[in-house]
Amino acid sequence: MIGSVIRGIPYGCVFGLLAVGLVLTYRTAGVFNLAFGAQAFVSAAIYYDTRVRHGWPIFAAFLLAVVVVGPLLGLLLNYAVFRHLRTAPPVARLAASLGLLVAMPEIVKLWFGNSPAFAPPSISPAAGHIYRFGGFAVDGNEVATIAATLAVVIVLTVIFRKTPLGLRMRAVVESPRMAELAGVNADRVSAVAWMMSSFLAGLAGVLLAPLFAQVNANNFTTLLIAAIAAAAFGGLSSIPLAFLGGILLGIAQQVIAGYLPLNSVLAQGLRPSLPFAALFLLLLLRPGLRTRREQGDPLAGVDPPPPPPAANIRSARLTRVTRVMGAIAGAAVLALAVFRLDAFWLGIVTLAVIYSTIFLSITVVTGMAGQISLCQATFAGVGAFTTAQLVVAFGVPVLAAIAIGACLAAALGALVALPALRLGGIHLALATLAFALMFESVLVPLDWVGGGSLPLHVPRPLVGPVDFASDQSFFLLCTGVLVLVGIAVSLVRGGQTGRFLDSVRGSEVAAMSVGIPTARVKVTAFALSAAIAGLGGGLLASQQHEANPARFVPFWGLFWVVLVVTLGSRTIEGAVNAGLALMLVPELLEVLGLTPAFGFVLFGLGAITFARHPEGIVEAQKREAIGFVDRQVDRLANRRRSRNATAATEP
Amino acid sequence: MGIRRFALVVAIVVAIVVTSCGNSEESKPPARSSDGANGTVVDQPGVTDNEIRVGSVASVTNPLGLRAAALFDGVKAYFAMANARGGVHGRMLRLVTERDDQSLQNQSEVQALLEQDNVFAAVVGTIMFTGADILATAGVPTFGWNINPEWQNGPSLFGDKGSFFGFTRAYPLVPWLARRIDATKIGIVAYSVPQSIDCAKGDQASFERFGAAKVAVVDTSLPFGVTDLSADVAEMKQKGVDLVLTCIDQNGAASLAREMRKQGLRARLYLPNAYDQEFIAKFGDLFEGSYVLTQFTPFELAVQPPGLQRFSTWMQKSGKDRSEIALAGWISADMLVAGLRAAGGNFTRQRVVDALNRMTDYDADGILPGIDWTIAHRDDSPQICYLLLEVVHRKLVPRFGESGKPFICFDRDAQRLPDEPLRRA
Repeated sequence: MIGSVIRGIPYGCVFGLLAVGLVLTYRTAGVFNLAFGAQAFVSAAIYYDTRVRHGWPIFAAFLLAVVVVGPLLGLLLNYAVFRHLRTAPPVARLAASLGLLVAMPEIVKLWFGNSPAFAPPSISPAAGHIYRFGGFAVDGNEVATIAATLAVVIVLTVIFRKTPLGLRMRAVVESPRMAELAGVNADRVSAVAWMMSSFLAGLAGVLLAPLFAQVNANNFTTLLIAAIAAAAFGGLSSIPLAFLGGILLGIAQQVIAGYLPLNSVLAQGLRPSLPFAALFLLLLLRPGLRTRREQGDPLAGVDPPPPPPAANIRSARLTRVTRVMGAIAGAAVLALAVFRLDAFWLGIVTLAVIYSTIFLSITVVTGMAGQISLCQATFAGVGAFTTAQLVVAFGVPVLAAIAIGACLAAALGALVALPALRLGGIHLALATLAFALMFESVLVPLDWVGGGSLPLHVPRPLVGPVDFASDQSFFLLCTGVLVLVGIAVSLVRGGQTGRFLDSVRGSEVAAMSVGIPTARVKVTAFALSAAIAGLGGGLLASQQHEANPARFVPFWGLFWVVLVVTLGSRTIEGAVNAGLALMLVPELLEVLGLTPAFGFVLFGLGAITFARHPEGIVEAQKREAIGFVDRQVDRLANRRRSRNATAATEP
Repeated sequence: MGIRRFALVVAIVVAIVVTSCGNSEESKPPARSSDGANGTVVDQPGVTDNEIRVGSVASVTNPLGLRAAALFDGVKAYFAMANARGGVHGRMLRLVTERDDQSLQNQSEVQALLEQDNVFAAVVGTIMFTGADILATAGVPTFGWNINPEWQNGPSLFGDKGSFFGFTRAYPLVPWLARRIDATKIGIVAYSVPQSIDCAKGDQASFERFGAAKVAVVDTSLPFGVTDLSADVAEMKQKGVDLVLTCIDQNGAASLAREMRKQGLRARLYLPNAYDQEFIAKFGDLFEGSYVLTQFTPFELAVQPPGLQRFSTWMQKSGKDRSEIALAGWISADMLVAGLRAAGGNFTRQRVVDALNRMTDYDADGILPGIDWTIAHRDDSPQICYLLLEVVHRKLVPRFGESGKPFICFDRDAQRLPDEPLRRA
């Protein structure tokens, strides 16, 4: 046992360092910064480039990558993004950090390149030296990590407890307006906070990069998940406890590895899932995770009333014209798709339709319920794997299997939502992320779930005499499903459940006070959302002829959320726009001669606008366009009226 | 219409549909037999009087990490060589498209090869190969980097080292290596993902069948992306492991080697996924004495076969670096040309596929040990050949072969471990 404990400390410090960074950002800037790993990647890439490719000495490379670029990046993020989100709801800030998580690595790769950057160098001159004590050993890089982590914990604890700066930082996060009334320059304090946290991300980047064979943004994101569990142990607020959480997690991994037989089924399930299971349990069980800020702020949980959908503010005449034009355009697109498009473009459009269906699940959970779920790709995967398993193992017809898959996803969605009911905002988002990662690590590798090495084959459906084997007929089937799901979502939104969700979204406390069953409503939203994602996942498997696990990894779940909130999470058109964008933007970029990586940059940066336009960019533009058209129509009508009036008064 | 009424209507429609539905027959995977062709197809898409058009799809940009753009370089280098010699059947070979499937768009990009690029043949190197069925159903001669089990989906799909994946089968290679280097205790590490677990099962089965050493530690519970292997190494050290078989990627191998050095575990590593000069050079002191596996002649051979010499020459001429993926592109192009030549001047897609599937010893001019395409879509060749390299002073040094005969080969169905493997060119 002592051996496991000692061996767990160096890796515990790795988790601890990242966890401290997360807590620092959350405490000082009020943002649960999922892009922390991406920020770490920026400094790691610069350090690698200067040290390895340009031969800079350690000190100079460290100075540039960590001391200069780290804080500058924080400053940039503060002024360009988070300064405008200080009073935005936590979900909006989380969406912005998700956008940065997607966009930042791709921006760095445009300069850093895609070729492998092997053997990231350490900041320790004695990185390879082994220090032995008793039967144990640590290398120079681990010593540097342990020392840096301890120093960071001590310095930050002192800053928060003993200095006026720490007090101001806490005050600004608590309530920027109140802090400003007390004479605190919230802008400046926030900028300092971001510079500090970004410096820490840079430090983590150069310290932890040598753990891996090459510099890669995904590596930091993988470590970050364990760090989130450690941060949750610290209640997202205590730096020493977050550090302790990291150490405990490192030790727990060692104890499990040391005591469970390595090749046992239990080890296969428990070891990969430990950080995610720990995070899930901590979020559910740790008292005080609803931070004082969210509870104490009188505005906590109360989103400003969202602007009405564009469709609701346009005039009756414009609505009629829009509907007629929409019907004509829809029919034309259908005809074009069926009769004119080649198999390639038909495949692209069919995928866009299927993804639009899946994205309607985000419309329900984010647009209507105001929650962020990061496991929609997992629910889609549940639908796909269930469909494939039922077809392959039991010979169930595909459509029936897809329906069963959707039901299973709904049940799973309700199950995830039930224990997470008391969570909201970022905690719920993190719980869904933990669930997605657990599903990927523990369940997908099982033959009876993911199907093993070779993805399971899924045929196209056959209904009576109608065979959907052809791409045209399958496209029509998918379009029909999208229309049905769209109508269902629209009816739910306009019905009692939708109105309840609106109330819960606005203020859960107020909704409860007027007797709205918030728990039931949230579970319903989650289950409906999961069912839609599962349905789309089944269709996707049938369209692709296989249920391939790579299509449902958690990254896509994050990216889908980014995409939908960018383009419009509150309307059905927003989901359709997102589906079309997902499939058509890469083709457009190719036509323009740009790398597809620009797509990730574009959508990632787009998510940052979520706070200003929670209805989505397209919806915001549409509202402006409608306002413009209505003004022009009114002006014309007024002019005609005045002309008529003038004509009538003339003798 | 209210939601309840709508739901009722949908439920009734779904019930009716479900009771009358089945699965389409047309979308079943194509037969895996190579003798189903009738050779009467006359259309030759992508072929003009002057050129033969080839399209390619690779994972170039994607957030999952794999970069396979070098596949294009290998194909283009080979085409440059072939065209400099007058092309094939009087036609120039042209790689007309280099499509990036971004990992998710494989099926769409494959579809585009057929619908928009008008190609005769395809070269593929991607993370997912969801377009395999489309290419197989269309009978398009398809070549590429075989890292996906979907390469087994049809007789027109030709992986660069054969199309069969036999991960879980017992092979004599690693037991023979253990005996050869006097290793007696074996450790096996794998991620908890299907391909990795299958690899570990295969290694275990090999020692169960052939003996030679005892498998002391097996860990198939490692989370993908793990950096902490200290518990595994501690157990291996405790049990006296002296050869560690890895079923993990380069990240994992580097972490494992680092931890072994830290804990003073003096065991050799067997690395089936590490043929990368830069990787080895950067970590060379960590991997000193380890063995790296290839199934092709590596660039380090003193006596290089003609195919590899030409690869090096033409990659240099094109100003591109040599790599395993570029070599996969080169082999793919060579296989296409071999098929075209064997099919004759009046070639069609089907005739090219049939001609290749009649070859019993395709070796890309000495780069490969020889693929028997009469069975390579569904099984290993009767003789399975490998090439092992040892890491010596940060460099890869071929071992166990002979001059001009670098491969060591074993009988696929061997029941006991041979004293010495067969050496062959």
